[in-house]
Amino acid sequence: MTKQIVIPGELISDERKRLGSNVFVSEGKIYSKVFGITDKQNETADVVPLEGQYIPRSEDAVIGIVDRVIFAGYGIDINSAAKSFIPKSAMRNEIRLGDVIAAKIQGVNEVKEAELTYPKVLSRGEVIEITPVRSPRLIGKNGSMLNLLQEGTDSEIFVGKNGRVWAREGNIELLKKVVKFIDENSYKSNLTNAVEEFFKKQKVKTNGKKS
Amino acid sequence: MEKKADYKKSKKRLDDRKMDELRPLKIKVGVIPNAEGSAYLEWGQNKVYAAVYGPREALPKHTANSLKAVVKVEYRMTAFSVPERKRPGPNRRDQEISKVLSEALAEAVFVEQFPNTEIGVYVEVVDSNAGSRVACLAAASCALADAGIPMKDMVAATGVGKAYGELVLDLNKDEEDAPDAVDIPIAILPNSEEIVLLQMDGLLTKKEWEGVVRLGIKGCKQVYEVQKKALQEKFVLGEAKTKDLEEKVKGAKE
Amino acid sequence: MRSAVLENDIQRVIELARKGERVDGRKADEMRPLKVEIGFAENAEGSAKVTLGETVVLAGLKVEVGTPYPDSQDEGSISVGAEALPLAHAEYESGRPSAYEVEVSRVIDRGLRESKAIDFKELCIKEGEAVWVAYLDIYALNGQGNLFDAGSIAALVTFQNSKMPKIDKENKIVKGEYSGSIKLKRLPLLTTFVKVGGKIFTDPSYMEEKAAEARFSVATTDDDYMSAMQKGHGGSFTVDEVNYMIEEGFKNTEKIRKQLKKDKLL
Repeated sequence: MTKQIVIPGELISDERKRLGSNVFVSEGKIYSKVFGITDKQNETADVVPLEGQYIPRSEDAVIGIVDRVIFAGYGIDINSAAKSFIPKSAMRNEIRLGDVIAAKIQGVNEVKEAELTYPKVLSRGEVIEITPVRSPRLIGKNGSMLNLLQEGTDSEIFVGKNGRVWAREGNIELLKKVVKFIDENSYKSNLTNAVEEFFKKQKVKTNGKKS
Repeated sequence: MEKKADYKKSKKRLDDRKMDELRPLKIKVGVIPNAEGSAYLEWGQNKVYAAVYGPREALPKHTANSLKAVVKVEYRMTAFSVPERKRPGPNRRDQEISKVLSEALAEAVFVEQFPNTEIGVYVEVVDSNAGSRVACLAAASCALADAGIPMKDMVAATGVGKAYGELVLDLNKDEEDAPDAVDIPIAILPNSEEIVLLQMDGLLTKKEWEGVVRLGIKGCKQVYEVQKKALQEKFVLGEAKTKDLEEKVKGAKE
Repeated sequence: MRSAVLENDIQRVIELARKGERVDGRKADEMRPLKVEIGFAENAEGSAKVTLGETVVLAGLKVEVGTPYPDSQDEGSISVGAEALPLAHAEYESGRPSAYEVEVSRVIDRGLRESKAIDFKELCIKEGEAVWVAYLDIYALNGQGNLFDAGSIAALVTFQNSKMPKIDKENKIVKGEYSGSIKLKRLPLLTTFVKVGGKIFTDPSYMEEKAAEARFSVATTDDDYMSAMQKGHGGSFTVDEVNYMIEEGFKNTEKIRKQLKKDKLL
């Protein structure tokens, strides 16, 4: 296994390489900025963080919760130190404190406020939280993990990059447990297969019960 | 209470350590679930907890810096952590230590990445025997890493100095009470050996200082290895197993 | 900041409570798992770490030689303090003790003091001149609800497993030497309840405390006495509800003492 855990300031490579995320260069050498996982054989020097808050980036899909209602619009909690705001004009209907919305980050300004676009209200359903930096694992390569979750629980699911998942109908209790498992095992290999196996076995069980 | 000793003669310390030997040091990260990052550290008799909350909105607003995150350390000791009860509430020593620890950690954190925010670092000493501030600094550094906060290096710290005629690493309380004691808390960024914390109490010659700083840096690097191990131990690489998921779902159903 | 998120979570707790259910699946009268360890603070005359569900508290005892009060020349004294460290929750702030911290301190203190669990005359060193003053300091390390009960257990176990320092002819403490311990005459423990969505739940979690309409704590002893009661947090209880909670208090603390005795901590 070429993957290894690295800590802040740990040397990743003393050769020139393409630079990915969460690394920095000092005197010609590349170091990790964070506590995370890197693959030294990778052509790009990149570290996937094991822990961390959500840091808003352009184009990210996020799940926000209405935090504040003022005349001009709505303050939205996107699970980050960065605040965000949606002007009243951007919403077709009024929304209230506590409402859950899906939106896209349009940009982040100099004082680290995120501007949101395409806000859409997510009605009913529940919000499940996971460690923000592990959100990508819930989607998987080409959405493979998300498909497994939707088929396996029959839930309508929306995954935000900001450590929040919204789900409606289906077996939400089961979904919560699987999401927790993915959160706790996000750094392990074979994760998608393990989840796929699990749902296959579940299906056999329920089919067995039916007959 | 002063004990009598002569290290030049005995070649061993009061607690049988070598001059360049640290007291036993153990660290565990991720121990306070409510915090974003945390660590528990035992160093000799010292026992400390560190918890990180942030980056979060800097409050009160006037403390915010529009260019970078403010790293705010609060160093406290429980009333029962010392031989004679410490009255509740921060005293001036707590305030000074909080300040120098904040400055040390701020050197390591990529603070420009989080303008207008505060990174709250809380360290609590629950049992002590010399060197609690460097114990807290070592723990705080682990807690920051555990919180996923980007840093250019860990902050590795130790006490170093002189006691009973010899230059020694990691003084214990008996050594701090020696008639010729010199106590020097020191912390570095291990890659560059830049010093980010340095204080001194006592009388030292320039020649002794040259020996002390080398010994201190050596000690810090030993502490760094323990910090690294503690973080690595939080996660065990390997394969995700279906049966673990099955147990999790089953166990929670009951 | 996160108030709207909190509001949604609180609503969920209340909705479930109306159906008689709790978020963590516990029964209404069920306490969270309890784990107790002693002796971590070597500089203290006694210490305990209590984990109640996800709430973790540390307690430590320090004793000093003091002069007795003029109206009780042959009695020592105790003082109980509790602090919710900012370490323990994003919401906890440092600074002067909050009203909540003061309430927790005083209710735990009352449970011990009023039960006469400690005979203050036994804390007398020399009448009129020297007495023991015992300070019990409790700190929350991870705040997930019910510092009252976690703190109460920590206080009891700390006293029960304490060691008194030796004193010399001049009534000064001899460092590093011990002689005897504080002997508890009875074993009072708190049980705390909240009313959420009209239902009464034992041992509230953090979210249940936030969703509560009212709170109640009662200290009960191993010999069938009640030694303290505290209604907190506003709201109201019927007489029947209070009777239920007192009954549950006796049952609950009986279970706790049994577990602690089994682990040789009491």
